[in-house]
Formats: sequence, structure tokens, C-alpha cells
Amino acid sequence: MRRLVILALLFGGMQLVLVAGPAEGFGEALLAFGFLILAAYSVGELMKQFNLPKLVGYLAAGAIFGPSALAAVPAEAVADLSPVSDLAIALIAFLAGAELEWGELRRRGVALLKVTGIELTVTFLVIFGALLLMREFVPFLQGTNTLTTLTFAGLFASIAIVHSPAVTMALLTETGARGPLSRTTLGVVLLADVVVVLVFSAALSAAQSLVPSGGEGVGSLGATVWEIGGAIPIGALLGGAVALYLRFVRGELFLFALLVTFFGLEISRLAHVETLLTLLVAGFVAETAAPGRSGRALRHAMERSAAPVFVVFFALAGAKLEIAELIALWPVVIPIVLARAFGIWTGTRIGARVAGIPRAESDTLWMGLISQAGVAIGLVTVAEQAYPAVGGTMRTILLSVIAVNETVGAVFFRRALARAGEINAKGAAGFETPLGKRESGAVEAPST
Amino acid sequence: MSASLLLVILVAVAYGAAKVAFQWLGRHFLIVSGAEYLLLGILLGPQVSGVLSEEALRAFTPFMTLSLGWMGAMVGMRLYLPALVRLRGVFYRVAFVQSLITLFVVTGSSVVVLQWLFNVSSAYALVPSLVLGAVATGSAADAMELIVRRQGRATLVVRQLEVAVWMDSLVAIVTLALVLCLSHVPAPQLVRSPTAVEWAVISVTIGVVGGALFHLFLGEERDQDRLFISLAGAIVLMTGAATYLRLSPLLPGLLLGTILVNTSRNRSEIVKALTSVERPLYFVLLLCGGAIWTPSTNAWVVPVVVFVVMRGLAKVGGARLAARFNGMLPILGNNWGRALLGQGGLALAIAFNYLTETNAFFPNIIFTAAIASVLLTDLFSARLMNAAVGASPHAIRASGSVVAPAGATAPAEPARPLEAQPAASPPREDAVASHEGKA
Repeated sequence: MRRLVILALLFGGMQLVLVAGPAEGFGEALLAFGFLILAAYSVGELMKQFNLPKLVGYLAAGAIFGPSALAAVPAEAVADLSPVSDLAIALIAFLAGAELEWGELRRRGVALLKVTGIELTVTFLVIFGALLLMREFVPFLQGTNTLTTLTFAGLFASIAIVHSPAVTMALLTETGARGPLSRTTLGVVLLADVVVVLVFSAALSAAQSLVPSGGEGVGSLGATVWEIGGAIPIGALLGGAVALYLRFVRGELFLFALLVTFFGLEISRLAHVETLLTLLVAGFVAETAAPGRSGRALRHAMERSAAPVFVVFFALAGAKLEIAELIALWPVVIPIVLARAFGIWTGTRIGARVAGIPRAESDTLWMGLISQAGVAIGLVTVAEQAYPAVGGTMRTILLSVIAVNETVGAVFFRRALARAGEINAKGAAGFETPLGKRESGAVEAPST
Repeated sequence: MSASLLLVILVAVAYGAAKVAFQWLGRHFLIVSGAEYLLLGILLGPQVSGVLSEEALRAFTPFMTLSLGWMGAMVGMRLYLPALVRLRGVFYRVAFVQSLITLFVVTGSSVVVLQWLFNVSSAYALVPSLVLGAVATGSAADAMELIVRRQGRATLVVRQLEVAVWMDSLVAIVTLALVLCLSHVPAPQLVRSPTAVEWAVISVTIGVVGGALFHLFLGEERDQDRLFISLAGAIVLMTGAATYLRLSPLLPGLLLGTILVNTSRNRSEIVKALTSVERPLYFVLLLCGGAIWTPSTNAWVVPVVVFVVMRGLAKVGGARLAARFNGMLPILGNNWGRALLGQGGLALAIAFNYLTETNAFFPNIIFTAAIASVLLTDLFSARLMNAAVGASPHAIRASGSVVAPAGATAPAEPARPLEAQPAASPPREDAVASHEGKA
């Protein structure tokens, strides 16, 4: 409460400063950025007291102080801070890759593929069906012919099925959770991310051939294959370089961690390959090939730098929310959210049964797959460029769906982790090992 | 090639260079790192190779500005009052007098040179000259930390140098802040444009109110991650507020750091959190500082040469005079001021701060002078420091007992020990913490 009072005082002080200064230069962005960090941190800590994930607080702070509510953070400042979001995505992907273990992948890779494939298929079909049922109420489907309805519903569903590696990793870092549910959820989310990019590209290609748009064309099949396939060797090279650094240099891991993520981000942009997959592979290769415990030391250094980055990333995500549009579109948004959740619930149950995943794990797996964030926003932007006429409405509805899922998904996932007994009591604060490294202090859940 | 990738490559290369410079050169040749980043920045900047475009550099300006606020907070963190009050006043008198002598000598000579060279009025030449004076006053602590670590003992002259370095920083930062208040552009959006005094009050208020609020905000927090997030937010906010009002972020940063270190029970954790990113920000400042350097279209050679020469004379002569006035010459030696010749990030920070001002006079000359001085002095600062410390007739072991070096005749002892023996422990702890953070 003390922090909220101080925050209110700072907000008042900020208004005084904004009156006295010239409306130009980058000072305003810095001012807004600083305030956003403090606001997100404070609300995040408040949420923790209610047993809610801190990132929900970060999102809430962003939404409250963002351009669509109190406007303490102007839209220009949010746009200026987009490189921070990119860095966060890269860091999250590297960390996620480092969490994967080669032995586990070999052991459970096929099972994860089965769960992911079935879950995505069922969710796609459920959302697709729900859109067809609600076609008279969905703005971008109203008054369209059958072919167009089917095309746009398919395109929408191919984006709506995506999950959020960012929320998943942020929750795992925040809670320090380790265990079967954490690993399965992370595996499904990461696999789904790769699959969805392919599915979306195919859906958009098909859509453009069925319903010509007049907007920007989707890339060729070769480009899509390169985007996915090229990320693997590039990520492996980056990961190999990181492993070499860890073998021969080792120093300044905190600084090095930030450099690696910047570097991976830029390399993937220049090579036109999928950023998430590149960093994911890099993290996996670095962790696997690094000698001794140095890979783990780098991971902990990254977790250290991830804490402030998560705060900013989710606060900025919250600041981008269009609250007014969300309120206006709730009659459409809520049924889609419910349909998606139902699809995930059904899909994971069927998938888990087919893949032979234990019941105790599969019962709560769906709760970790509700969240959505950055990838979905990226895909919907591409769809908007391809179909400028209806893309705006589609984007608005999807962003509203994402807003709900991003917030609710984090709460659900935390609850699932708690129910599975995988949350480390100390959270991500960790403790000192005899080597002086931060150890996450994972508590393994009993094998089910 | 994109700007971010370039920055990454730059920092990676500079980091490799720093590894060599800081560890190997420092160990063998007493060279303190810093200059290599600047040189690298100059080589890759628009003036030489053009690898870093002006547009890319503009994108990094907020990060450089942020490093100013951070640097101010780091200086403020050294002002731990309970430890400072245990040192005898003569240390402060000597340090303050030598700072003022440097400030006045360089300012005065710069006024004369600028008037003569550019045929401007003394009032017009005063503002850039004062900034040059502020740049000249600052001295680096890196070399001293290296020497103390190497010698493994603290001498009286080292203690005096510690005080002199932070006093120099204090005088330089306050001077720049006041200059920016004096030359502040009118604010037409307000009913009445604030006066220079009012701008100074606003500048201090940002630091003091910010420090007080953030003290309450941080509370008893000791977790490094949470502390880092809160501190980062506080410094970014405070830097943004000062920059938005076209004031120097260095002074509010200094006040913020001073208040936090003096009021918080968790000050060692705060210092640790702050120092954890000191180096990355310092890299960015040096690299980008080198890259944005533009030789002035005006004749810049003469003012820069005069600046470097006058600064050297003022530092050495001023330190000697200050010691003589205060009866410390037998203890500190004639050439203790040579140890203050080294310049580091603060000189660049001050010059960069002035460079970003829209109504700055001769900003490129000042920036060039700062770069030239840093490049020149960085190579020799540790050796000069070592010579000054080694030449001092008095030594005081870490335990506090005063010893005379072999073959030297002990001068008359002051009326009471210059330093109460247990006195310096707290600031040393901070200094060590700061240094460990760097290492």
C-alpha cells in the first residue's frame, strides 16, 4: 500500500514536470518508461499478496497507466520502447531453449508431438466452428458469402490457437517451478509455436488464393520453409559460439547474457528466420554443449537479467491493450475465449490419452496453454497487412481475445503449477549454492 | 547493417579489448582501461569509417542520457556521511581548494582563449568556459583503485586522493548543473519562465524529493532482483524528469544516490545493485561518446591544447597550493596532484550532457577537449597515481598505524592523527563493494 501511495505521488509529480517542460525530445519517453517500471513493479507485488501471478500486475499497471486509460505513458513512448519488447522475446526464447534437456526430448519428444498436434487440431476446429455459428455477430464475417466466411474463419482460427512462450517462461521463472507439468507445458507451448507459424503461413496462402485481398502477399513457400528451417542451423551456430565462450572465457555472464540475446535478435532479423526458434535452438545447444555447470550459470545470469525485462515487457503489453475496444466487443470476445478454452481442454485430454501421459498431469495441462501474447500479435499484424479491408476488425477482436487470455492464462497456469506441487516455495529468488551461483531450488513433484 | 547489431558487435569487441586492457595491461603496465572504447567509437563513428550512422547514434541517445543519471547516483553513493564526518576537515579543505583552483584556472583561461579566438564577449564565452572548467575538475578513481589493490595498503595520500576524487566529482557536477540553470532556455508554455535560481531549486528538488520517495519505496528490500528493478525505475524516472526539463540529470542522480546511501539500511545491497550495470552503461557512454565526436568547424586545436595544458598545470599546481595552505605539503608531497590528472567517464558525461543542450555554445570544442583529455590521461593516470602514492612520505597501514617509509625522516606529526583509525572503514567497504561489482 505504501508503494501505491508513493506511486500516486510520483504520478502527480510527473504531471507537474510534464507541464513545465517542452513537448519534444526523448525526455518524455524516459520519464514514462521509469514510471512504468515502478508502477508495474508495485502492482505486481500487490498481486503477489493475492496469490496471483506478478505478471498480471504488470499487465494491469500497463493497462491502467497506458494510453487507453490514464495516459501517463503516451502512445509515442510505448512505440519508442518496442525494442525492449523485442529483447524480452529473445531472452525468453533463449531461456526456454536452455530449459529443454536432450534426454527428455528423446524420451518424450514423440509424446509431446502427439499432444501438441491433437490439441492444436481440436482447438482449431472448435474455434472455427464457433465462428461459423456466430457469423452474424462477428463483424468481419457479417454479410460475406460462404467461401469468404470459411476462409476468414480459418485464418482467424489459425492465429487464435497459438500459445504464449513468454507467459509460460515468465511464470516458470517467477515461481521457480520445476516438474513434469512444467516441462510438458513448456514443451507443448514451444512446439506449438513452430507448428502454428507453418499452419498460419499455409492458411494465409490458401486464403489469398481463394479470396484475393489486394493487400500484401504472403511470402513464398520457400521463404516460409527458410524462416523455420534456417532458424535451426543459425541458432545452433549461435549456441555453439556461446558454449565456446563458456568453455574458454566464462567471465561477466550477466553482460554476456544480454549481448547474446541482442545478437541473436539481430542475426535472426538479418537472416529472415524465426526469432523465437533461433534463440530457442541457441539456448538448447548452449546448455547442452557447455562444459560442466557453466551452462547453468549462464541460465541463472539470464534469469537475473530477465526479471526487469519481464516487468517492462508485460507492462508494455498492458499499455498496448485497447480497453475501450475490449469492452465494446465483449459479446463476441467472450464466446471465442470460452470456445478456445474448451478446445484446449478437450484437445489436451484426447492428446494426453493418445500419448500416454499420466492422468494427473493431463488433467491440469490445459490450464498452462490458455495464455497468448507476442506471437499471436505478430501473426495478426501479418493478416491485417494481407487483408486491409477486414484485417482491422479481425485484429481488434484478436487483440481483445489475446488480452483476456494473457491475463486469465497466467492465473490458470499458476494455479495448475500450485495444484501439481511444482511451485518452489522460495519462488525464483533462489539461494546461494556452495559455488556461489544462483540456484533455482527446484522442487520436483512426485512422479505420477 | 542494423544499429542494434552494430552496437552489439561494438560492445562485444570493446568488451574483449577491455578484458585484455583491464586485466593484462593493468597488471603489467598500469594502464587503466577506458581509452580503447573511445578510440573504437571514434574509428567506427561517422567521422572516420561511418559504420555507425548518425541516425543509429541518435537512437542510442536515451541510453547515454540514462548513463548520466546512473553515473550521478554512483557518485552520490560514495557520499556516506557517517563515514565522511569521521575524517578530519583538513582533507576536505585541501580537496575543495584544489577543485576550485582547477575550476577557476581552466574557466579563466578558456574565457581568454575563446574571446581571443572567436572574438566573442566575455559573457558569451563564460558558459562554455565554465563547462570546460567542470570537465577539467573531474578526475578518475579507477587508477586509484588499481593502485590500492596493488599495494594492499592505504596511505594518507591515498585517503586524501579518495576525498579529492569525489570532491572533484561533486564540484564538477554542481558546476554543470548550475551552468545549465543559468543558460536555461525560456519556457514559453509557462505563465512565467522560471529564473536560474528557480531552475536550480527544481533540479535539487527532483533529486531530493526523488531520493526521499524512493527511500520509502525501496523500504527494507534486500532482494537483488527487486532492488535492481526499483532502482532502475527510480533512476530512469529521475533522469527522464531532468532531461525533459532540460536540466542536468547528474545532480539529481547524485542527490538521489546520496539520500539512498545515507538513509537506507540496505545500502550495501543498493550499491551492489547499482554497480552491476555500471560497466555496461560506461561502455555505451564511451563507445557512443567516441562515435558522436565531431571536430568543430571552428578552430578547435588551440582551445583544446590550452585546456589540456591548463588543466595539467592547475591540477598539479592547485593540489600543491591547497596542500601548502593547509599545512599538508610535508605529508602529501609536492606532486600529489599528478595523481588527479586521470579523467574517466565523468568528464565525458559532462561534455555529452552539454552537447545535448539545444542552445549550447561551442559544444563540439568542449566535447573534443574532453575526449582529448581522457585519451591522453588514461594511458598515464595509473603510473602518475602510483608515482604520487609511492612518493608520499607518509604511509598508513590498513590497520591505521602511521609509518614512515624506509630512509625517510618522519615529518612533524599533526596535533592529532589526521584520521581516526577506524574511521575510514565504512567508505572503504563501499569502495570495495563498488570495485567488486566492477570486477
